[in-house]
Amino acid sequence: MEILELIQFLIGGIFLLIGTAIFLIETYGVFRYKYALNRMHAAAMGDTLGLSACILGLMIICGWNLTTVKMALVIIFLWNASPVASHMLAKLEVVTNENIDEHCKVYKNFEEYKKDMEEEKE
Amino acid sequence: MKEIFFTALLIIMALFLLALLLRAIRGPRIADRIVAVNMMGSITIVMIVILSQLLGENYLVDISLIYAMVSFLAVVVISKVYIGIYEEKRQQQGKEKDNGNS
Amino acid sequence: MSRKKSVEEYQKTKSFRFWRWLSGSKDPYVGEVEMKPQKEPVYSEEISQERMQEKLELQEKVYDVEQNPLLRLFRRVYAISAVLFCIILAGVLLYMVAYLPPTGEADKAVNNEVPARYIENGLQETGAVNIVTGMILDYRAFDTFGESNVLFTATTTVLILLHVRKKKVEKKRKEDRENGLEEEDDRMYEPQDDPILQACASILVPIIILFGVYVILNGHLSPGGGFSGGAIVGAGLILYLSAFGFEKTEKMFTEKTYKYVSFGALTTYCLAKSYSFFTGANHLESHIPLGTPGAILSSGLILILNICVGLVVACTMYTFYVMFRKGDF
Repeated sequence: MEILELIQFLIGGIFLLIGTAIFLIETYGVFRYKYALNRMHAAAMGDTLGLSACILGLMIICGWNLTTVKMALVIIFLWNASPVASHMLAKLEVVTNENIDEHCKVYKNFEEYKKDMEEEKE
Repeated sequence: MKEIFFTALLIIMALFLLALLLRAIRGPRIADRIVAVNMMGSITIVMIVILSQLLGENYLVDISLIYAMVSFLAVVVISKVYIGIYEEKRQQQGKEKDNGNS
Repeated sequence: MSRKKSVEEYQKTKSFRFWRWLSGSKDPYVGEVEMKPQKEPVYSEEISQERMQEKLELQEKVYDVEQNPLLRLFRRVYAISAVLFCIILAGVLLYMVAYLPPTGEADKAVNNEVPARYIENGLQETGAVNIVTGMILDYRAFDTFGESNVLFTATTTVLILLHVRKKKVEKKRKEDRENGLEEEDDRMYEPQDDPILQACASILVPIIILFGVYVILNGHLSPGGGFSGGAIVGAGLILYLSAFGFEKTEKMFTEKTYKYVSFGALTTYCLAKSYSFFTGANHLESHIPLGTPGAILSSGLILILNICVGLVVACTMYTFYVMFRKGDF
C-alpha cells in the first residue's frame, strides 16, 4: 500500500512541478512582451495549461472521491470562462486604443478579412 | 515530505503573485492591469486547492470554485463598463470640438 | 401657580412658532425677514482680463510640472513614501502573524467553556453536522436575523436614493428627442448582444446558479449556507444580465419580484424563529423533528432559515448592481 501511495505522490508531484514551471514562464512572458495584446498570449497559457496541470497533479494525489470531481469542475469552468474573458479584454483594448494600427491590423467584419486573405493568396 | 513540498510550492507561487502585482501597478494601459489581475486570480485558485490538500480540509475546493466564478465575472463586468465610459467620453469630446469649430 | 396665557399671547411666543415650523404648517420667516435673490457680481473688462492673466501665470508657475522643480520633487517624495508605507504596513502585519497561536492548541484563551458546549451538545440539540451553521442559525439566530435586516435596510436606502421611475425617464427621453438632444449615458455605448459572451453565459449561468442552490441547501451539512450561496446566485444573475441585457431580465425580475421575495423571506424567518423561541422559553415540546444527522431533510428549522437568508442575499446583490447600472429594474 505504501509503495502505491508513494508512486501516486511522485506522479502528482511531477504534474505540479510542470504546472509551476508553466506559471514561471507566464510570469516571465508578462514582463518580456511590451504590448497588452501580446501579454495576453502568456496569460492564456497559464490560465489553461498551467492551472489544469497543477490541478491534475492534485487530483492524482487526492485519490478518488467527491473532492476530485469538484477539482475537475474547476478545470472545466475555467476552460469555458477564460477564453471569453480574453475576448472581452481584447475587445476593450481594440476599442480604447486609438493607435491600434501601429501594433496590428484590425478587421471591421468577416468579409474584409476574407478579401484580404484572397489577395494574399494571389 | 508532502508538507514540505506543498509549502515550497506555495512560497514560489506567492513570489509569482508579487511579480504580477508589480505588473498590475506599472502596466501602462488598463488592459495590462486587468490581464495581470486575471492571472493573479488563476494562481490564487491553484494556491487554494494546494492549501486544501495541505490542511486536509476538502471544503476549500468549493471556495476555489467560487473564486473562479467571481474573477471571471469581474473581468467581464469591468471591461463592459469601461468600454461604455470611454465611448461616452469620446462622444462628448467630439461634440465640444464641433461646438468650438462652429 | 402657573399663569395661563391667552391664545393671542401664545401665538406670539417663540415656542409656538417653533412647533408650527416643525409641523410644517408655515415658515416663520416668511413676511418677517426681507429676502432677496443674490446678485451676480459684475466685473469690468479690465479686472476680468487681469484675473485671467493672473490665472495663466499661476498655472505656468505652480501647476506646470516640468517647469516647477519643487512640485516634481514633491511628487517623487510622495510616490516613494507611499510605497514605503505599504511595505512597512505589510511587514508589520506579517510580523504580527508570527505571534498568532497555532490552530488546535489546547491552552488558547479562546478555548473556554462556550465553544466546548457548542462542540459537545451542538449536534444533539440542533441536528446540524456543520457546527458553525448550527451556531449562527440556532443559538444565535436573532443575530443572523439582524444581519439579514441590515441587508434589507441597505437595499431600501439604495432604492430610495437611486430609483428612477420608468415613466418619468421615458417622458424625459421623449422631450429630449423633440428638442434634438441625445441621451448621455455610458450604458448606451456598451457593447450589446455579444454572441461569444451569450454562448458562454448560456452554459455557465445554469451551472453557477445550480452550484449556489447546492451551497444553500447543503448549508447544515458542509461549510457554506445562506450568505455565500446567496452571493453565488446573485453573481449568476449579474452574469446573465451583462450577457443578455435588460430586456430579458425585465421579464423575470422586476420590482414586484424583489418586494415579494425579500419581504416574504424575512417574514418566514421571523415567524419560524419566533415559534422555536416561544416553545423553547416556555419549556414546551417543539413539534419539528430534528431527523437523522447527515440527511438533507434534517436539523429542524435550519434548512428553511438558510433558504430565507439565501433569497434575501441574492435579491440584495442583484438589486444593488441594477440600481447602480440603470436606476430601474
